[in-house]
Amino acid sequence: MSSTSVYPTPINAFKQSKRSVLSVIVDNEPGILARIVGLFSGRGYNIEALNVTVVDIKNNLSRITIETLGEEKVISQIIAQLEKLVPVHSATNLANLSESYEAEICLVKIEFDNNEQDQKILNFADIYRSRTVQKRQNIVVYEISGTSERINKFLDDLNTIGGIKVELVRSGPIGLGT
Amino acid sequence: MDNENEFTGADILLKALKDQEVDTIFGYPGGAVLPIYDAIFGQNFLKHVLVRQEAGAVHAAEGYARSSGKVGVLLVTSGPGVTNVVTGLTDALMDSIPIVCISGQVPSHLIGTDAFQECDTTGITRPCTKHNYLVKDVSKLSETIHEAFKIASSGRPGPVLIDIPKDVQFAKSKYIPKKDISFREHRIKAGSKNVDKNFVQELVNHIKKSERPIFYVGGGCLNSGPQASQEIIKLVNKTNIPITTTLHGLGCFPGEDKSSLGMLGMHGNYEANLAMNKCDLMINVGARFDDRVTGRLDAFSPDSVKFHIDIDQSSINKNVKVDFHTNTDITLTLKEINSFIESNNIELEKKDYTNWWSQINDWRKKECLHYEQGEETIKPQHAISRLYDLTSQKDTFITTEVGQHQMWAAQYYKFSKPNRWITSGGLGTMGFGMPAAVGAQMANPDSLVIDIAGEASFLMNVQEIATAVQYKLPIKIFILNNEYMGMVRQWQELLHGSRYSESYVDALPDFKKLAESFNAVGVRAKNISELDDAINEMVSIDRPVIADIWVDKKENCFPMIPSGAAHHEMLLSKYDKEKPENQEKGKVLV
Repeated sequence: MSSTSVYPTPINAFKQSKRSVLSVIVDNEPGILARIVGLFSGRGYNIEALNVTVVDIKNNLSRITIETLGEEKVISQIIAQLEKLVPVHSATNLANLSESYEAEICLVKIEFDNNEQDQKILNFADIYRSRTVQKRQNIVVYEISGTSERINKFLDDLNTIGGIKVELVRSGPIGLGT
Repeated sequence: MDNENEFTGADILLKALKDQEVDTIFGYPGGAVLPIYDAIFGQNFLKHVLVRQEAGAVHAAEGYARSSGKVGVLLVTSGPGVTNVVTGLTDALMDSIPIVCISGQVPSHLIGTDAFQECDTTGITRPCTKHNYLVKDVSKLSETIHEAFKIASSGRPGPVLIDIPKDVQFAKSKYIPKKDISFREHRIKAGSKNVDKNFVQELVNHIKKSERPIFYVGGGCLNSGPQASQEIIKLVNKTNIPITTTLHGLGCFPGEDKSSLGMLGMHGNYEANLAMNKCDLMINVGARFDDRVTGRLDAFSPDSVKFHIDIDQSSINKNVKVDFHTNTDITLTLKEINSFIESNNIELEKKDYTNWWSQINDWRKKECLHYEQGEETIKPQHAISRLYDLTSQKDTFITTEVGQHQMWAAQYYKFSKPNRWITSGGLGTMGFGMPAAVGAQMANPDSLVIDIAGEASFLMNVQEIATAVQYKLPIKIFILNNEYMGMVRQWQELLHGSRYSESYVDALPDFKKLAESFNAVGVRAKNISELDDAINEMVSIDRPVIADIWVDKKENCFPMIPSGAAHHEMLLSKYDKEKPENQEKGKVLV
């Protein structure tokens, strides 16, 4: 099952891929991130994106979301290895849940020269329902969220506009089973 | 303000060790552990064994743990003290040996300043321990130590390290006894206590259906406790199914029993490997489909239904995809299988696998362990055979170094009980055996402990002979001396055109004089007529002995599955003309 975007996607950008998003609940203690990152590098797995934040202050828990690539067999092995780490409560492949939601946030700064470019940018921003964070003269900053594919598509569309300068930051995907 | 309920970190450590019923600790002092050594000075429940290099401490702790079933404990100082144990920690992780390593650290306020003898201990040891801790607050020390022991010995056992800064060793806090600690389940990972009844039922159904079943038993059976060994013996006797064991599984099932096919794998028995290749039902009990066992994966046991019992979830489907698996403890699962068969009156006796056994007996006729002992030069295989014959009446513990002698020991020394065979399998650590013998002798003071060694491996931790002498540990170092790194030379002969690059061990010491210089005893056998006398003398002397056994320099270890070959593509002996198909491909493997 692919995750459903928290925002609707204009066209179906989902493709068959070996990408997986793993959600890991851990005790928030020193060294836990190093343990996880070390496990991936030591065993030759890839980390495409990584997100770590405390989610439960009372119980001192963090949720780590890892985007990785690999065959199903490799992903199962990664999960088994993660669950062997002492501070790990659980590791879940969101794709294995019957239903899960996924989102990523991206801030995009766009510099443009002329009105035509501005109109095209506005148009895409509208289609993708991105939020204007700041706009002044020839610079605009948008915030867009949704699945990573949705953000990729938005960025692909922006790139069809010639002559603009784009700078961006992405959070990497986060996800939740329901 | 002193409170009588408060103790220093060093005293808390000692209280916790007592609480954990630790009676022996292997260690080496240094600046960052002086407060702990001060606490050791003033007590008498804990025997400290002073090693000669920290690597000796960690292998001794491994030998102690493997031979006793208890957690092995060691104590080292910061910086070089702890970096010296990295190999041993990795060894214990690979071979699932429960040890707890206490390391000193520079005082908290100096951490991160590149202080004298400072290193990032938790960073360095993170990938080679099951878990590790840096204790920054003395009030957390009791709990941390108790959790460390629990983690080391639960589920799939392994090494745990506790790094304690010097100021924390001086700081004071209350001691929390083990009984007052409530462990958090997710951190202990003890494995399921519930037997998977479906698994058991499926297994029994498959046993009934199968024509060519085999048990493939590994070190997990050992780690599950001696009862697991009893249950597997019962099950094999009941079912008449052949059993092969891995290097670490040796001793879980009596090696001389008629159902035993001996060890499998790269230097395993012909009949064991062929049976694995041709079986229709494989029952893996606590083994991990290691590359030394499976040979070429795409040709590994192509026609079998595979069952896997392993407490470690990550061992399931890692190298070989299995059809049925359970993560419940081996003892519990085997018990359930036995009682399921009994309570349902399943008549397995009638199914005695006649054709399967006659096929196996045909393979046995190859006599894959046959060797020709001449009149003069001692064959290494013969040296081990004689050692076995002359010591098997005693409760003997065998440790080994790594190389040809290790494989010959596995092939020619037969074990009838678990925990008597202590070897470095996964990591293959040369220099393991002698300190491991020190540990095994500490745990079993009245038993005969022999390190079967090669002269090259022995030199890697030769300093520990002084430890054995100091503590009057009558360990025996049985050196198969061929003046080569034998296994390296064998691979060079088979795969690198006999170009013996750097594998000749020149300038060897006189091992007899070496022993004498340490106040140990040296004996020597130069030819076959001296062998039995040397062994008998070695065994009879109640002191550490180095036996220098001069063996055939050119002997190779067979049978052998070359890297990249499959189980049925074994090389049988040096007279066997068949060359493996994938020789070039095998060259790049290990």
